[in-house]
Amino acid sequence: MIDDFDKLSVTELRQRGMTSDKILAEQKRRGMSKQQINDAWYPKPPTYNRIGSRGFRRRLVLATYGGWCLIAAIVVLSSMTIPGSITPALVFPILFIANGVVMGVWFFRKTYISRETLSSDAGLDERLVQNRNHAFRRAFQIFTLLVLLAWPASLAVMAAQPGEQGYNNAFVIYFAVGLLAATLPTALWAWREPDPVEPDPVDPN
Amino acid sequence: MAPPIQNRIAVLRAERGLSRQQLSDALGINYQTVGYLERGEYNPSLELAFRIAEYFGLPLEAVFSRHPFAPMSDQLYRKEESA
Repeated sequence: MIDDFDKLSVTELRQRGMTSDKILAEQKRRGMSKQQINDAWYPKPPTYNRIGSRGFRRRLVLATYGGWCLIAAIVVLSSMTIPGSITPALVFPILFIANGVVMGVWFFRKTYISRETLSSDAGLDERLVQNRNHAFRRAFQIFTLLVLLAWPASLAVMAAQPGEQGYNNAFVIYFAVGLLAATLPTALWAWREPDPVEPDPVDPN
Repeated sequence: MAPPIQNRIAVLRAERGLSRQQLSDALGINYQTVGYLERGEYNPSLELAFRIAEYFGLPLEAVFSRHPFAPMSDQLYRKEESA
């Protein structure tokens, strides 16, 4: 019984009629650090609450890839319509930054989708392993097809448009391939994962 | 796509006053997986299905079915009437 009492959360202690002062004293008695006490009083939203709705994730996929395509289109069109306006030395950092932004969005979201896509099986349950394997399998199929198209396409644009314009267009293709290689599995998983379940009212936190 | 397997996880969890987090911790699975199981959006493997049934101390067919379950209260009431 004493062991059970030691495990009670702040909410549960309050439900037992304990005042804030007594709860704080109880936490100090348990030997909790200041950080642990702070976390107990102001719990952070659990990771499973931060994956967002499926609608939000799909909009994010469209926004990130759509935004990247828009930048690529501006680069290609500027290069075509005003020759010499955009040099390869300028295209490279523009696409580098665009890739960095999209990768940053997908890799640094604090959700299990962004963290577990590339992780090992450790810590993943059978559903997450299935989802990850499915995402990688589908990404590989799409990626292989795109690479098979992109490779001759890059050679063709450089042959057809000698000089800066050809390099610019080839850069766009190479950066697109790099971006997809890095982010496609995560984006596919985010696209497919159903809406998260809401925390239920009997959750102790 | 395989038809969803019906289950009583939500009812059994509520009966025992368990949160999804507590059940997922006990089963060693992700919190969301419990939710998707309850919503019928994920069919468990046989191993996980056995683990869930064992956790609730019930036979597999009491927790999972290929056909919709009748309400538990109906089944209990009929049992009492036939007894």
